[in-house]
Amino acid sequence: MKITFPHMGTTLIFAKLFELFDHEIIMPPRPSKKTIDLGVKHSPEFACFPFKVIMGSYLEAIEAGADTIVTSGGHGPCRAGYYGELHKKILDDFGHQVNFIIFNAPQDNWSKFMENLKKIKAKKSWFNFWRNLKIIYKLAKAIDNVEKIVEQKRAYSPNGEVDLIWKKAKEEFNKINTIDEIEFVETKVKADLDSLSIHLPADKDRIKIGIIGEIYVVMEESINNYIEEKLNSFGVEVERSHYLSDWIDDTFLPFFGESTKIKAKGQQYIKIGIGGHAQESVGRIVDYKDRGFHGVIHLKPFGCLPELVSQSMLDKIAKDLNIPILSISIDEQIAEANILTRVEAFLDMVRQQKSLEERKIKHG
Amino acid sequence: MGNIYLGVDIGSVSINIVAIDEENRILFKLYTRNSGQPVELVKDGIQQLRIKLNNKIKIDGVGVTGSGRQLVGYILGADIVKNEITAHAMATTYFYPETGTIFEIGGQDSKLIIVKDGIATDFAMNTVCAAGTGSFLDHQAERLGIPIEEFGDLALQAKRDVRIAGRCTVFAESDMISKQQYGFTKSEIIKGLCRALVRNYMNNLVRNRNLQGKYIFQGGVAANLGIKAAFAEEVGEKIIIPEHYNVMGAIGIAQLAKAEIKKTGKNTSFKGFNITKDSFETTSFNCEGCANSCEVIKVQANGQTIAMTGDRCGKWSDQINHKKREQQETGS
Ligand code: SF4
Ligand code: SF4
Repeated sequence: MKITFPHMGTTLIFAKLFELFDHEIIMPPRPSKKTIDLGVKHSPEFACFPFKVIMGSYLEAIEAGADTIVTSGGHGPCRAGYYGELHKKILDDFGHQVNFIIFNAPQDNWSKFMENLKKIKAKKSWFNFWRNLKIIYKLAKAIDNVEKIVEQKRAYSPNGEVDLIWKKAKEEFNKINTIDEIEFVETKVKADLDSLSIHLPADKDRIKIGIIGEIYVVMEESINNYIEEKLNSFGVEVERSHYLSDWIDDTFLPFFGESTKIKAKGQQYIKIGIGGHAQESVGRIVDYKDRGFHGVIHLKPFGCLPELVSQSMLDKIAKDLNIPILSISIDEQIAEANILTRVEAFLDMVRQQKSLEERKIKHG
Repeated sequence: MGNIYLGVDIGSVSINIVAIDEENRILFKLYTRNSGQPVELVKDGIQQLRIKLNNKIKIDGVGVTGSGRQLVGYILGADIVKNEITAHAMATTYFYPETGTIFEIGGQDSKLIIVKDGIATDFAMNTVCAAGTGSFLDHQAERLGIPIEEFGDLALQAKRDVRIAGRCTVFAESDMISKQQYGFTKSEIIKGLCRALVRNYMNNLVRNRNLQGKYIFQGGVAANLGIKAAFAEEVGEKIIIPEHYNVMGAIGIAQLAKAEIKKTGKNTSFKGFNITKDSFETTSFNCEGCANSCEVIKVQANGQTIAMTGDRCGKWSDQINHKKREQQETGS
């Protein structure tokens, strides 16, 4: 079994998972223009953009020798529900014989879920199995903890010191095998970040931007034009609505994860689940506002219905909550210069609005 | 002579240069068509500025905006390089502090900026669809065999209204032809086209936003009285066209350059009038570093590389930025 998986965010976590179970891994290449072209060419025109990119990733991994694709299913009503099946069918049609292991939330179909788990578990004992899952979970948490600091400090590190530490951190995390090692690396990286002479400015001079939207375009930086890095390079702090560890929580421990709380915050705008992460997107805006953020950037893949629905509400929410929101639609034609122009103009606007409000408060 | 600040707007259709003084008075203003040689046009423009002001000038700050801002920013040694939305809003709110809505239509893009209390609170941009921009009108004017300069005035002579489908340039064209065959006059067709463009603008940019006065209309297309009338009809209010409607971006960025110099207290990094004698070369190559195979653009001044852009990962641009930083740190 030569396993591959979609390229989404910090892929080393997925790679580690399969490595711990002694599977052979074909790393999906970071999505490039070629990946996108390939995906667009092999996908139905109406499919949403992440579907096309992932299609391209699969084709590249298959070319590199992958014969098994592990992915998550997600459930309807949006298209995520049939991603796996449709990818498989298209690959079949093009004569690629690959196995799909599609993980849906366990409560959807328990026996199917167990069957999939056993495939991953392979020859390991159940004891090792649980131990490995725990390692992966801790690893995801540790990486996300570090990344959250990076997303903040990188705003004040124009010469790239923070990025360097972050890059090295990922290499270090890639080498771990035990929970102790994860903790060791996490502590060390945090200490390294602390030792940089970066002083967070006074609260009034900090600008915080939240990124919301569909999970794939929010998490995969090669697809969103490295938006977090760009925002940081303009001197603002960032946080996004999706992190891998949160996703694990929400998928496998839905009632303990944060997402229930977040969805509730957006209740007045979207009452029922419409697929994707529309409810979370909207709830997050409220959450960011509550937490003193100054602006929100919404990423919507082209062809994504749930985010189209949330987008249609942004004007109203921005007004109700008095928080600026910029919505960016992402597809294969997006021009980087155009995103930069809009992001820069948006940040100017956020800054001016912030200082206007401060002046208003000062003068009563 | 007092301080002078230069503002340069490099758009895809026009290149505009202005010089302002300490009191924001316009000392020089130039609007030229971008023939695809922005660097040469800028050099030429700066030469004209020098002659106009009798060589007696020292530039105290330079700002560059517009879609080609990065490149020209490097060449001029700009003190500030900023997007055109911020620049436009800056100039308009200076001339009209009570601005509520800015319609900006240029040759290949259009913008909407919503302003409250003198600052922008929302904006929208259209760069993909030609049907809402000046090139739509240029194209149709050509079809009708009417110089674009006369287009707007003709629209005002229309006696009847005719609705032309303006969703997209291709449909508009076929609809226009069939309406002509029905016997509508040229001026009626033109009025229909103006209204189609404004309708398009409303659908794509304004959408369900609440607009507020004052309404300011600027950009190259603002010279077109037909469009102005169509906007007035659409919003039911008076539309104001600023005196310097076609160089507002350049004025705004000049003002921003002034503010930047005041704020930092630094001397300008303007490379000086001698750049008109320098030779610049822009070349591009495909990076083979990864599957993105980015088209990397390299700018050289007298054989020395001063800028690289177009790389998605920063592999090339970082090198240059790094070098610059080192130079700054060692104070050279
Ligand atoms: S959330 Fe949007 S992009 Fe993701 S699968 Fe559903 S429709 Fe497609
Ligand atoms: S510039 Fe960077 S992203 Fe572009 S092809 Fe080269 S290595 Fe790849």
